[in-house]
Amino acid sequence: MKFVDEYRQAAPVHALLAEIRRTVKRPWVLMEICGGQTHAILRYGLDQLLPPEIELVHGPGCPVCVTPLEQVDKALAIAALPGVTFTSYGDMLRVPGSGRDLFSVRAAGGDVRVVYSPLDAIHLAQANPDRQIVFFAIGFETTAPANAMSVLQAERLELTNFSLLVSHVRVPPAIHAILGAPGNRVEGFLAAGHVCAVMGYHEYPPIAERYHVPVVVTGFEPVDLLRGVLATVRQLEAGRETR
Amino acid sequence: MCLGVPGQVMEIRQVDGLSMATVDFGGTRRDVCLAYVPEAKVGDFVVVHVGFAISIVSEAEARETRELLEEIASFPEA
Repeated sequence: MKFVDEYRQAAPVHALLAEIRRTVKRPWVLMEICGGQTHAILRYGLDQLLPPEIELVHGPGCPVCVTPLEQVDKALAIAALPGVTFTSYGDMLRVPGSGRDLFSVRAAGGDVRVVYSPLDAIHLAQANPDRQIVFFAIGFETTAPANAMSVLQAERLELTNFSLLVSHVRVPPAIHAILGAPGNRVEGFLAAGHVCAVMGYHEYPPIAERYHVPVVVTGFEPVDLLRGVLATVRQLEAGRETR
Repeated sequence: MCLGVPGQVMEIRQVDGLSMATVDFGGTRRDVCLAYVPEAKVGDFVVVHVGFAISIVSEAEARETRELLEEIASFPEA
């Protein structure tokens, strides 16, 4: 796949690892924000390939993991209502609420459907005028434009059987909460490229200045992540004397 | 849901007032909404997230990054 395969090549991965090993002089704790980054790190064993001085702490950037319990419980209650078709991104189906999860609501006869895009939920509403289609609108900044478009589209199509259960969060407040917490050990962040495709970078320089932490935006392939680690440790190694 | 994936725009059409495209991801094709990248053309590569293109991949930036990668790959191994 173009624009993907070249970021998975072994040669640049090993060259970046070598350069990171040469650069690191003392231990550093880095956090990657996004679940997609964590997945790539673990899948390619990057945490094991990096020198032991670098500790990767996995961040709260998975909306599935940080969706509040009460929102999941609301989802379960709504999904169990007769006449409701409850639609959700697939990852949410296994997230437990206080008692069970959406998968078990489906097993008990609830109409729970996985959608890839919020527009799929709109299509369901168009095709099933006798049912109330509810979409579980979760996510960080990246899904917000897509979730919002379903609202605009429902209005444009004059749908009366489409609604959303919303549970949206943003990355910068999460970073502030982590860095401001007593006992915080995180010294650098790998921020998520797709969040920045939506939001730009403007929220990160104030964070970097206030807490004196580098924030490096990366993609999701091994070369992207290692290039991000290298940029982060270069800043940390260069900045340590001036702290 | 976790990723932005690059794919190539193969054709563009209007559906219910939205600009929709067939996007090719290395052989797999999906319908993608282009509402947030109205300037995207057939042949462009877009980054897709939950069925929406969220940015267009700049060939110039991609080429610069590729050249940087080649330079990195030529670093001596420790």
